[in-house]
Amino acid sequence: MSRPIPLHELGDKEYIDPANQACQGCGGAIVSRLVSKALGEGFVRAEVACCGPAFMNIRAPSIYVEVFEGAGALMTGISRGLKRIGREDVVVMGIIGDGGTVDIGFQGLSAAAERNENILWVCYDNEAYMNTGGQKSGATTLYAATTTTPIGEYSRGKLERRKNVPLLMAMQGAPYVATASVAFPEDLLGKLIHAKGIKGFRYIHVSSPCPTGWGYDPKDTIKVARGMVQSGLWPLYEVSDGILRLNYKPRELKPVREVLKMQGRFRHLNDEEIDRIQREVDTFWRRLVAKDGGEIF
Amino acid sequence: MGRWEVMVGNKAIAYAAKLARVQFISAYPITPQTSVVEYLAEMVASGELDAEFVNVEGELTAQTAALGASAAGARAFTATSGPGLLYMHHPMHATSGGRFPVVMAVIHRSVKGMQPDHSDMMAQRDTGWIMLECENSQELLDTGIMAFKIAEDERVRLPTIFAGDGYILSYTAEPVEIPSQEDVDAFLPPYRSSYPLLPGLAEEARRVQMEQWGIGQDPQLRWRRQQEAMEAAKMVIMEVNEEFYKWFGRRYGNGLVEEYRCDDVEAFIVAMGTIASTARTAIDRLQAKGRRIGLVKLKSFRPFPSEEFRRLGAMVRAIGVIDRNISLGSGGITFQEIRSSLYDLEERPRILGFHAGLSGKEVRVGDIEMICEKTLRAAKGEGPPSLVEWI
Ligand SMILES: Cc1ncc(C[n+]2csc(CCOP(=O)(O)OP(=O)(O)O)c2C)c(N)n1
Ligand code: SF4
Ligand SMILES: [Mg+2]
Repeated sequence: MSRPIPLHELGDKEYIDPANQACQGCGGAIVSRLVSKALGEGFVRAEVACCGPAFMNIRAPSIYVEVFEGAGALMTGISRGLKRIGREDVVVMGIIGDGGTVDIGFQGLSAAAERNENILWVCYDNEAYMNTGGQKSGATTLYAATTTTPIGEYSRGKLERRKNVPLLMAMQGAPYVATASVAFPEDLLGKLIHAKGIKGFRYIHVSSPCPTGWGYDPKDTIKVARGMVQSGLWPLYEVSDGILRLNYKPRELKPVREVLKMQGRFRHLNDEEIDRIQREVDTFWRRLVAKDGGEIF
Repeated sequence: MGRWEVMVGNKAIAYAAKLARVQFISAYPITPQTSVVEYLAEMVASGELDAEFVNVEGELTAQTAALGASAAGARAFTATSGPGLLYMHHPMHATSGGRFPVVMAVIHRSVKGMQPDHSDMMAQRDTGWIMLECENSQELLDTGIMAFKIAEDERVRLPTIFAGDGYILSYTAEPVEIPSQEDVDAFLPPYRSSYPLLPGLAEEARRVQMEQWGIGQDPQLRWRRQQEAMEAAKMVIMEVNEEFYKWFGRRYGNGLVEEYRCDDVEAFIVAMGTIASTARTAIDRLQAKGRRIGLVKLKSFRPFPSEEFRRLGAMVRAIGVIDRNISLGSGGITFQEIRSSLYDLEERPRILGFHAGLSGKEVRVGDIEMICEKTLRAAKGEGPPSLVEWI
């Protein structure tokens, strides 16, 4: 299991260039900085279509391939190729959007996990197809308004629950699976550094709020991200060899209402809808707590 | 010294990959390709071949993973047919766009039905891959080895397909000479990528990446570079074909086209793949009867040897082109390309188009004799000025 690592423990050196093309307050850009800091020199980065190319300021060698659905395959190939040229020491990492992970890229993700490819998959989850302007994805929270689940007389936003891909990966038996949040950098860094030391398929799914798509002031990214974790909308846990551990366990969860109301995408929610989200969060949290420290199946 | 073995085409393909010492293989079954990866799986399982053998979950991944392995600096191979090739279409553009010298065997299967035609490969026409067509199992093995040398040449750096008709070659056994590993090693040295995706090479990797993306420069530049590489490939294919001849005693025309009994003819027909074999018999029979008609086998579909057809076209009065494909709404693909190659000639031969062998329809010697007779009549100025016919 991981151990939280404060940023200052990693020294002053940055592994990204000062500027990028992301929007102000982009959660994904924070993920890139922290990932590059945790991995340092010895990694290469695979990339497919998403907002990720806006964070091209990571200095590590990168390969961008215009195959949105192909992240799992691309990383598989790179990892096997590096092994063949005698460079298994190099970490093969991808910062992949939620769309490229849970939807169009899911087949390749699941197959790479099955083969236990020696790769580190970091999903930065902004809960929609942001690069194309904020359409619904399989990671979008229930009732959220997106450009393809707009609010109207006949529509209340997204009608489906989000897919729980970290648990799916854990059920596939991946050696290491974790959730994380940009609001908890020590936790994320600890997980990245722990993952770096493991061989095989590693999956870290990071909640990465997007002011542009979620409709909040860019200065509030961390506040929103923290609220998601504190309310149980995005619990922090990790699964190592089938054992689950909750990494953030407050005595009491904050009500979801507070953090939902900070975001434009939930502005339309009525009490009944908020109650349904609250009930689902409570149920999931109860089940997670019951599993904490034990086997997931 | 090589040794002889009676083997099916798919085994010849597997031998090509083995002798080339591929380091990465992505495998996914589809008829009539399947036994290629089965043979390779056995070679890896028995220790005959030391390579990453990845059972992927589909052809999209087969192609994208091969791309990734090639980017990392490994020699990568995959193989597919028909619908599998269509499923690869999207990443195939990325493989060529990134200038990754992946080699792929295509065992033709129609996009309509299970039997062979060239519609699967023709649907990849503009993906930026080199495409070399083979006529028999020996040619598959030899071309497979040459394909790596062509693809990896610094003047080229383009992914390369070598292809043969499914069933007719894939499952038909014939004697094939397997070159010795020492000779192949001498002919084809290990692959060393100039741009491996590795830490420490960040600057260079970035520069190459920026060029691929067209960032900070003329956005058309990467298209232009790729077209220049295709043009350069013509020379490289001819060189490799000659070098192969020096080592192994076999060559395939000049590597781009192969002329069969074209001395002193007034017309020739053009065919690709196994139809060329059938056509050889037809030409023999007709020349025995005094007909002055030869065969030009089109081996390199991409890059397309326009110069060769201009040279050959200037020597005859008519050309009959057999297409095992059709661009629906337009026509026979090689027919059109040959026709357009001839446009600049002062005196252009007549050119006739024939569709034959689509969805595996059998093409008999008699069919080709008939095509030849029609072409000869056109050479004498008889019949309609141009003709497109279904055989
Ligand atoms: C095959 C394919 N389909 C669709 C697209 C268009 N597209 C580009 S990025 C993108 C959304 C990416 O979403 P996600 O993976 O969540 O990353 P984000 O943009 O949110 O950072 C889409 C739909 C594409 N590039 N390729
Ligand atoms: S749209 Fe969202 S995820 Fe994309 S760059 Fe902007 S803030 Fe980041
Ligand atoms: Mg997204």
